[in-house]
Amino acid sequence: MLAIRGLGVQYGAVTAVREIDLDIREGEIVALLGANGAGKTTIARAIAGLLPFRGEISFRDQVLKPNSAEHNLRAGISLVPEGRGILARMTVEENLLMGIYCRTDRRAATADVGQMFERFPILKERRSRLASLLSGGEQQLLAIARACLSKPRLLLLDEPSLGLAPKMTDYVFSMIGNLRSEGLTIMLVEQKARQTLKFADRAYVLETGRMVISGTASELAGNAAVSEAFLGGGTKPPHHAN
Amino acid sequence: MLLQQLVNGVTLGAVYTLLALSFSIVMGILGILNLAIAELFMIGGYLGFAVITAHLSLPVAVAAGMAGAAAISAVIEKIGYEPLRDAPLVTPMLSTLGFSIILQNIATNMWGSDPLQLPDEFLGGRIALGPVSIGELQLIVIGVTIVLVAVMAYIVQRTSMGRALRAVAENRDVARLLGVSGSRITLTAFMMSGALAGAAGVLIAIHYAAITPYVGVEIGLKAIAVMVIGGTSRIWGALLAGPLIGIAEVLTVAYGGSQIRDFVVYGFMIAILLFRPQGLLGGSGADQGQRV
Repeated sequence: MLAIRGLGVQYGAVTAVREIDLDIREGEIVALLGANGAGKTTIARAIAGLLPFRGEISFRDQVLKPNSAEHNLRAGISLVPEGRGILARMTVEENLLMGIYCRTDRRAATADVGQMFERFPILKERRSRLASLLSGGEQQLLAIARACLSKPRLLLLDEPSLGLAPKMTDYVFSMIGNLRSEGLTIMLVEQKARQTLKFADRAYVLETGRMVISGTASELAGNAAVSEAFLGGGTKPPHHAN
Repeated sequence: MLLQQLVNGVTLGAVYTLLALSFSIVMGILGILNLAIAELFMIGGYLGFAVITAHLSLPVAVAAGMAGAAAISAVIEKIGYEPLRDAPLVTPMLSTLGFSIILQNIATNMWGSDPLQLPDEFLGGRIALGPVSIGELQLIVIGVTIVLVAVMAYIVQRTSMGRALRAVAENRDVARLLGVSGSRITLTAFMMSGALAGAAGVLIAIHYAAITPYVGVEIGLKAIAVMVIGGTSRIWGALLAGPLIGIAEVLTVAYGGSQIRDFVVYGFMIAILLFRPQGLLGGSGADQGQRV
C-alpha cells in the first residue's frame, strides 16, 4: 500500500532522516519506534505531505509529491499530528465538520459526522464546547474521529498516547485496534514501545534519523537489543540488524 | 448634544468597523498588513460615486464598490502577495505599499486631485427623533454596515469556507492536513477583504458627500488603529473598537477641538500596544495568526 525508498528530509543544514526504506501493507498496523528526535515525526509528516523530501514515497501505486498535503489527503492518507492538532478556537462539532472539508459527497459526509457523534457520545455531549476546553483524552478522541471523517485508507497517528493517563491510553489503543478491525491501515508513531508492540503487526525502529532494525512485532519484542534500548531493559542502543 | 454626537460617532465608527474588518481578515489569516486596503477603500468610494451620480440605486453602488475592490484585491494577491509568500513578512507588506501608491496615482489621474462633491439632490433628508437629528444617509451607512457584518459573520462562522479561513488562521499545517488549499484560502481572504473595503469606501463617500484620492490614507490609518485596538488576532474585535473610536473621535472634536482628535485616537492605539498588545478582545499573545 505504501512504499518508501531512500527517504531523506533536511531542516536547513540539519539532516533529520536519511535513506529510509519502509513498507506498509493493506490492513496492517505498523509501528515506528524510537527515542525523541529519532525522526519518527519527520517521516509521518513527509508521508502526509507537510515536508519537502528526497527519495520516493508511493501510495497505492501513485508517486506522492513532496509538500502536497491536500493531494495526499484526497489520495487517502490522513495524519493525526503530534500534539493532536485540535483547532482550539473551534467547537467540537466544527472540528468534526473540518474533517469532511475535503469530501465531495456532502450528504453522506454530514451523515458520517452524525454517526461519529453516536460512536463517541462524549463528543456529542460536548459538541458545542470549544475544543480547547476538552481534556487531553477527549481531544485525542476528537482528533482521531476528525481524521477518520476524511475516509482515509491509511491513518498516521503521531504519539496518540502522549500526555494521556494510563486508562485513557488503554482506551485510545483499543480504539486504534477497532479501527484496524474495520479495515483501516495504520501507521503508529510511538515511544511507548512495549504497549505498541502488543498489538502492532510489524515495527521499524529508528535511531538518530536512520532505520536500525525492523521486523514483526513479536520478533522485536523478543529481541534483546531492542528490549534493552526501547522496552526498559537497559540503555544500550541496539545493534544494527535486519 | 451628547446624544447627537453619539449618533455621529456611531456612523463614523460603522465605516471604521468595516474597514478594520477588511484589514483584520488578511492580518488574522496571513499575518501581514495589506497596506493597499486603504486605497481599495478609496477606489470603492469612487466607483460608488460614479454609480450614484448615474442615478442607479444605492445597493447597486455598494455592489459595484465591493466587486471592483474585490477584483483589484485579487490582482494584488496574484501579483503582489503570492510570489512573495515565502519571503520575510516585510516584503509582501512593502509590495502592498507599492500597490497602494499606484492605486492612488491612478485615481488622481482618472478623477483629479480635487474632491468630488455629491450633488445636493442625492443628499437625502433628515429625521428628527426628539433632540437628535439623523440624516437618511447616516441611517443607510449604519444599516448597510450591520447587514454586511451579519453576512460576513455568517460566512466566517457558519460556512465551510469560513471554517477553512479560521482553520488556516489558527494552524496552517493542521488546515493543510484537513485538505484546505492555502492558495485558494489566501485569494478568498484578499477578495473578501477587498469587498469590505470597497463597501466602506462607498459608505464614507455618501457619508461625507465627497471623495478625494487621499481619503484612503486618513481613514485607512484610523482603521488600522481600530484593528489594533480590537485585537489583530480577533477579527470581531473591530465590532467593539470601531464604534468606540468613532465616538471618541467625534466627542473629542465636539468638546476638545479637532486639533487633538488624532492625538486621542492614536494615543489610545499606542496605549493598547503598550499595555494590552493583544487588543481589547484578543486572547493570549500566543494565538496570533500564521502566514499561508
